Amino acid sequence: MKTLKFVVTVAIVLVTSFGASAQLTGREIIDKTYNRPAGDDQTSILTMTLINKSGQSRVRKIKQFTKDFGDMEKKIMFFMSPADVKNTSFMNWSYDNDKADDQWIYLPAIKKTKRISSDSKSDYFMGSDFTYDDLGDRKLDADIHTLLREETINGFDCYVVENVSKDDEYMYSKTVSWIRKESFVGVKKEFYDEDGDLLKILTIKKVEKISGYWVIVSSEMKNIQKNHTTKINLTDVHVNTNVPASKFTERMMMRGI
Amino acid sequence: MEKLLKKLLNYSWISMIAILLLTAYFIFNMKQNSRMETDLDKYMPHDHPAFVYSDKAESWFNINDGIIVAIENKKGIFNTETLDTLKKLTKRFQKFDEINKDDVTSLYTADNIIGTEDGMDVKRFFKRVPKTKENLQKLKESVENNEMIFGRLISVDETVTVIVAEIGDDVFTQEFYREILDVAKASETKDIKIHVAGRPIVEGTMALLGPADMKKMVPIVLLVIFLVLFITLRSFKGTLITLGVVFFSTIWAFGLMAAVGVPVYAVSTMIPVMLIAIGVADGIHLYSHLQVYINHNPDAEKREAVKDMIKFMWKPVVMTSVTTAVGFISLLTSQVYPVKYFGIFTAFGVMVAMVFSLVFLPAGIMIFGLPKAKKINKEEDKAGHSHSRLANSFAASVIKHKYVSIMATAVIVILSLIGMQKIWINSSFLEKFEKDSDIVQTDKFINEHFGGTSSVNLILDAQGKKDKFKDPEVLKLVDKMQKDVDSQLEVVGNTFSLADYINRMNKVMNADKEEFNKIPDSKDLIAQYLLLYEMSGDPENLNKVVDYDYEKLNVTFQLKSDNSKSINSALDVINTYKSDFKKYGITINYAGSGYKGLVFTDLILEGQIMSLIMSLIIILLLISVMFRSIKIGVIASVPIILTALISFGIMGFLDIPLSTTTALLSSIAIGIGIDYAVHFLEQYHYNALNTDDKMVAAQNTMAHSGRAIIYNAIVVIAGFLVLMFSVFPPNRQLGALVSLNMFTSFVGTLTIMLVLLYVSNVYFKKKKSK
Repeated sequence: MKTLKFVVTVAIVLVTSFGASAQLTGREIIDKTYNRPAGDDQTSILTMTLINKSGQSRVRKIKQFTKDFGDMEKKIMFFMSPADVKNTSFMNWSYDNDKADDQWIYLPAIKKTKRISSDSKSDYFMGSDFTYDDLGDRKLDADIHTLLREETINGFDCYVVENVSKDDEYMYSKTVSWIRKESFVGVKKEFYDEDGDLLKILTIKKVEKISGYWVIVSSEMKNIQKNHTTKINLTDVHVNTNVPASKFTERMMMRGI
Repeated sequence: MEKLLKKLLNYSWISMIAILLLTAYFIFNMKQNSRMETDLDKYMPHDHPAFVYSDKAESWFNINDGIIVAIENKKGIFNTETLDTLKKLTKRFQKFDEINKDDVTSLYTADNIIGTEDGMDVKRFFKRVPKTKENLQKLKESVENNEMIFGRLISVDETVTVIVAEIGDDVFTQEFYREILDVAKASETKDIKIHVAGRPIVEGTMALLGPADMKKMVPIVLLVIFLVLFITLRSFKGTLITLGVVFFSTIWAFGLMAAVGVPVYAVSTMIPVMLIAIGVADGIHLYSHLQVYINHNPDAEKREAVKDMIKFMWKPVVMTSVTTAVGFISLLTSQVYPVKYFGIFTAFGVMVAMVFSLVFLPAGIMIFGLPKAKKINKEEDKAGHSHSRLANSFAASVIKHKYVSIMATAVIVILSLIGMQKIWINSSFLEKFEKDSDIVQTDKFINEHFGGTSSVNLILDAQGKKDKFKDPEVLKLVDKMQKDVDSQLEVVGNTFSLADYINRMNKVMNADKEEFNKIPDSKDLIAQYLLLYEMSGDPENLNKVVDYDYEKLNVTFQLKSDNSKSINSALDVINTYKSDFKKYGITINYAGSGYKGLVFTDLILEGQIMSLIMSLIIILLLISVMFRSIKIGVIASVPIILTALISFGIMGFLDIPLSTTTALLSSIAIGIGIDYAVHFLEQYHYNALNTDDKMVAAQNTMAHSGRAIIYNAIVVIAGFLVLMFSVFPPNRQLGALVSLNMFTSFVGTLTIMLVLLYVSNVYFKKKKSK
C-alpha cells in the first residue's frame, strides 16, 4: 500500500474499516491510521498561525505540493506571505527507510538555493508546535502501541491508544491518540514530555472528504507548558491532480509559484 | 501623666505580670507566624514604572538570572572525561524540579550554525560525547569557529566551560543551593573542578547570610552590653531591668509584625539594632537620676526615690521617644515596603520601650529594690556646683575653650562636606561578601574566563511598528552600539542580540568569509535568514532576542561586576545612542535584575534622604514646641546634623558606598542624637531654674546628664563594636558606623551643643527679662 505522508497535514489517516472488529490491537489501529489511502498527490494553500503567550501571532501563507514516489515522498512549498519572504521556497524529500530527509531552501534575496539539514525529527517545524515527527514522519514500529480503552469523545466513538517510544531518549515519554473507530481519523492526541508531564494537545478541528479521501483541513496544536499555539488550516485542497514529478526540483524552487 | 505613672507604682506586680503575659503572647505569635522573606524581588516596588517595564520585558524575552556552573580542567576541556561531565551535569540540571529543562544552556544543548559546501546547517555540537582523538579535534575546531559560542560557553583558553541554568525569582532556597553544590562536588575528579556562581546564588545567600549572622551576633552584642551596663550602673538588678526593656520592646515589635502578617525582611534585622541603641538610653538616664538622688539622700525610701525619678524624668523620656518615633515614621515616605515596615515597627518598638521605661522599670525597682547608694563627700562645699570634679572641670574647659569647639566643628563640617562628594551608591550584592569568600572567588574566576556574571538587558522598543528590527539600518546601528560598548568598556565582557545571529548567518551563507560577518543590506534577506533559522534551528532561541512582531529587541550586555559604577558606565555609553535610535522611532528601556537593583537602591536612597530631611524638620519643630523656643530647636539639631554629616563624610573618605543598610543608619544618627540632646537640654533647663550662674548650670548638667550620656555611649559603642567580628561585611560596617554615630552624637552634645547653649544665653536671658 502506498503511503503518503503529509508534512503538514498530519499522519492520521482514514481507513474505511471493513467491519474490522473489536479484536484490533493498538498496533493495528495505529497502522490503519498511519497508512490510509490519501491519493498520490495533493496541492493546497496552507495557512499557519503561530500564537505566543503574549497573544502576538505570526501568520504565514504557503502554497504547497506533495507527491508520493513510492519509497519516498517529495514536497515543495512556496511562501506567499509575509511579503519579505515571498517566493522563498522550501523542498523536502523524505524517505521510507532510515535515511535522513534532504532539504533545500531557496532565498530570493540572494537568488540562491541552499541545502539545509536538520538533525532530528524532534525539531520543531518552522517555529511551530509541530515536530517533523508530529507531522507524519513517525515510523509505526518506533513505538509500542497499546489499546487503553474505547470511549466517545466529541460525539465520535474512539479507540484510545497509548504509544510509548522504544527509544529512551525520545522527546516524548508517551503519546495518547484518540482515533475514530469508523474512519481511523484522529480526533485528539496528547503528548507527554520526558518527565511524564503533559506537554502538548493536538486537536483535529475539521475533516473534509476531498475527491474521496479524508483530509484534515483544520487542526490546532497547543503547547500547554509554554502556552504557545499553532493553528493549521488548509484551503483550496486538491487530491490526485497529477502534479508532475518535475515540479520537485531546485529549478522549480527558483521559479516560484 | 505623672500622676498616672505614680499611681501605677502601687500596682507594680500587676503591671509586671501584664507586661510579661503580653510578651509571652507576642513570643507565641512569633513562633506561629514569623516568616523570613528571602526573595529580593518581593522587596521591589512593582508599581514603579521602571519595574513595570522591566517585569514585562522579562516575560517577553524570558529574561531570568542564571546559575552558572563552571567546569574547569587545566589540561583543557576537549577530552572525553570533561565533556562527559558536561553532558551529565547538563542533564542533571535539566532534571531539577526548580529548573525548566529548556532554560539550561551549555555546549551540549547549544546550536551550532555552520556553513556547509552548499548551504547552512544548524545542529548540536555533539550528542554522544566524542571518544576518538579525531572527533574531539573536530569538535574543538567547530567550537573555535563559532564566535556565538567561543568565549561565551567555552573560555578562550579552553580550560573552562559553563552550564547556565536560568531560574525564576522565587525558587532559590538554601536547600536547593546545597543540592546544587552536592551535585557539583560529586562530579569533581582529580583534573576536573566545578565552580558554582551567578546572581541567584549571590542574592539568595545574601538574603540568608545577613539575618543568620545577625541572629548569631545579637546575643553576643547583648551580652557585651550587659557587661558594660553592669560595670557602669554597678547594679545587677538595674542592668537586668534596663536590658529587659530593650529585649521586651524588640519582642513586641517582632511579635506585632508576626501578628499582622508582615514577613521579616533583611532590613528588619536592623530593628533590634535600633532598639538596643535607643532603648538602653532611657534606662541609663533613669538609673542615673535615681543614683544621684540616692547618693544625695541615702536614707530615702524606695517609693520616694522612684517618685522623684518619675517626676524629673518622665518628660525627657517621653520627649526623646516621641521625637525618635516620629523620625522613624518619616520613613513611610519611602516607596519601598520593607523600609516602610521598618519605620513603622521601629517606631512602635521605640514607643513600647518608652512605656516599659516608665512602667516596667519603676515596677521592677519597686519589686527588686533600689541600687546601693554611693558615698559622696558631703562636707565639701561646692557652692551649688556638682559633686563630680571631672564633670566640673570638663564643662568649665569646654566653655573656656569654646572657640576650639566651634572651630573644630567648622573644620569637621567642611571635611565632611568634602568627604560626602566622594560618596557613591552601590547596589552590588557581590561586594557585600568577604573578598576571599568562595562566592566572590568563584565569581572572579568566571569573570576572568568569560564575559561576565552580571548582565544588563537593553530593550529597544519600536513602539508597535512591526518588523522594525528586520530593517538593516536599525540592525547595523544595534551592531555598532554593541561593538562600541564592548570596546569602550573594560567591564563589559560580552554583548548579544539578534544582530549576532544575522552576522553569523550572513557569514556562513557566504562560504564562511569573514567579510560577510556583518548585517546585510537587504531587509528581505534578513527576513529570509530568519525564516531559514526557524526552519533549521531552534526558533525558541530567537524568542530571547526579539519579539514575535520584530518590534522589540533584547540586547544583553554581560558585565564583570554588578556594582553600580560598572552598570552606570555601561548605561552611559548606551544612552549616547538614544538620539540615533530615536530617529527610527525606537525608545530605550532597560530590564533585568541588575538594572532593577540599581533603580531599587536609588529609590531607597532617595527615600532615605527625603525622610532624613523630613525628620530633621519635624524634630526641629517638635523640640521647638517642647521647649517653646525655636532657638533651642536649632541648637538641639546641631549634634544630629553633625552626626549625619560626619557619618556620610567618613563613608566618603573610607570609600564605604551607600547601600540599603548603611543608608538606614542616618535614622540611627537622628534617633540617638536627639536622645542625647533632649536629656541634656531638659537637665540644663532644670538646672538653669535653680541658679543664675550659667557655668554652674552647665557643670551640674554635665555631672548628671553628661554622665548618663557617656555611659550610654560607652555601653552601645562597646556592644556594637562586637559586630566588627561579624563574618558578613555589611554587618561589620553597620557595627562600625553605629559606634561612630554614637561617639559623634555624644561628643557633639557635650561640646558644641553645650557651647551653643552657653553662648546663646537661653534660659538665662529669659530669667533676666523676668
